[in-house]
Amino acid sequence: MEPLLEIQGLSKAFGGLQALWDFHLTVNKGEIVGIIGPNGAGKTTLFNLITGFLRPDSGEVRFRGERISHLKPHQIVNRGISRTFQLVDLFQEMTVLENIMVPCYSHRARIQRKKGEKPWEIALGLLKEMDLLHRTEELAKNLAFGELRMLDIARAMATEPDLLLLDEPFSGLDTEDAEILSAIIRRMHEQGQTMIIIEHRLRDLMRLVERVVAIVFGRKVAEGTPEEILNNEEVVKAYLGEEGEE
Amino acid sequence: MEKLSDHYTQRISLKSLGLLGIFSVAVMLVPLVFRDPYYLELLFLCHYYVILACSWDLLSGFTGNVNFGHAFFVGGAGFAGALMNLHLGWAPWLTLPIGGAVAALCGLLVGSFTLKLKGPYFAAVTFCFATLLYKWIMIRYDIFGGEEGLSGLDWLAETTTGNYYISGVIMILVVVFLYILSKSPFGLILRSIGENETASEGSGINTTFYKVTAFMISAGIAGVAGAMYGHAQMHVGPEMAHDSLSALIIIMVVVGGMGSIIGPIIGAYLLTLVNESLRFMGEFRLLIYSSAVVVVILFAPKGILDIVQRGWRRLAGQER
Repeated sequence: MEPLLEIQGLSKAFGGLQALWDFHLTVNKGEIVGIIGPNGAGKTTLFNLITGFLRPDSGEVRFRGERISHLKPHQIVNRGISRTFQLVDLFQEMTVLENIMVPCYSHRARIQRKKGEKPWEIALGLLKEMDLLHRTEELAKNLAFGELRMLDIARAMATEPDLLLLDEPFSGLDTEDAEILSAIIRRMHEQGQTMIIIEHRLRDLMRLVERVVAIVFGRKVAEGTPEEILNNEEVVKAYLGEEGEE
Repeated sequence: MEKLSDHYTQRISLKSLGLLGIFSVAVMLVPLVFRDPYYLELLFLCHYYVILACSWDLLSGFTGNVNFGHAFFVGGAGFAGALMNLHLGWAPWLTLPIGGAVAALCGLLVGSFTLKLKGPYFAAVTFCFATLLYKWIMIRYDIFGGEEGLSGLDWLAETTTGNYYISGVIMILVVVFLYILSKSPFGLILRSIGENETASEGSGINTTFYKVTAFMISAGIAGVAGAMYGHAQMHVGPEMAHDSLSALIIIMVVVGGMGSIIGPIIGAYLLTLVNESLRFMGEFRLLIYSSAVVVVILFAPKGILDIVQRGWRRLAGQER
């Protein structure tokens, strides 16, 4: 298998708080990797480090063998890593279609577009896949939360990423929307999309992924199949214990 | 697929183009009706302010990076043009584009350093540059004439009507260019930066590049206007680089409606004409003028254009 993303010894501190410490991870092409951990465990920090929104204190991220830790966010997107945001807050005063048009004008999308293909045709295709076609001309601020989440995923997919990072895609969704999203993620997986999914809600995640990494207080405490993780003592203590109290 | 109708706001609307066409024709016809040089002089000022307000809007109205020193480019290009005219004998048809190029270059330099930073740095630095230029003009009176400024420039046109037409044509070209630009992918990306710069960057957009380019275009147009104003008055003075001009431009855009290119036209005409028509009020003019601006901002925070559009939609029965 071909490693797409290699993370070695990645560390980041905010003042006295060690948000991530000596983190290692390899993601192969076509895989879905889940990252779990209690709130504040450093999951989003990890995404911010991969996508260039934060600079690591030490360690490095390699994508297709190239070191990308020093690049700017837009350069990383244009190399093929795209992400969604935990707090979905897109271009509120713009229509759904316009929201998707923005990434269609990125360098990567321009290059990948076939000759004669219009950017808005790509955008409409993505909206169809996310079942948002009937909302095309609505302003983003008028969308329901679930729709906004789908829109954010469509936005991230518009650059046709080799690696898609989903930051807590299930949070705030009701059961029905979560089912729809699970189906979309499964379909993307079947089409060969490589993904890393951060999630706080275990039930939805565990059914989707093949490999799970557990982070507690910025450290990786376990890595394995969903069953292995659910039976791991340290994970149960740090994470599921807290979950049980809820 | 052909039905990407009104809510796809990025489309160039025939209605807006039609209105711009009517506006252009009206601008061209005005001197046939009003022959009084007083009115033409006043409308020349309107053209000047429309160019400044619309050019300011391109960067600040669309991306939210507030330029507090637009006068830097107006005054800078005005004096650059004046010096070229007085010392090198270059005619206005040379000094206008060169003045614009000088301003655009300054915009590129200032923007490259400040627009990649988020936060108030850009606003602060633009403010400082305008203030520095103003002080420099005052101090180096041997070059810039200090408070007196520089006089004896070649005229833009021999008559007031000529000034009116030249400034009118430049204004129409600028407005149409900026309107089409604002509806292009470039404009869409500027809007996305104003909405959410992080998401824009996360969509693979080099936001710094777009902001700097917009600032360069904005500065260049302001520069052309500055040189034009100098030749029309046959004089440039330090007030062209003063903070009060920068502030006036911002107020015009805010009153008209930010991020629309069309709104600033309304704001510039309205404030210039209202300011002039209150002249008979003497000392009360400033009070009434300022109060009117405050009232508009309080009751129409999105500007007069927004009110007009909503009223129009209600009349047309499209209000949802």
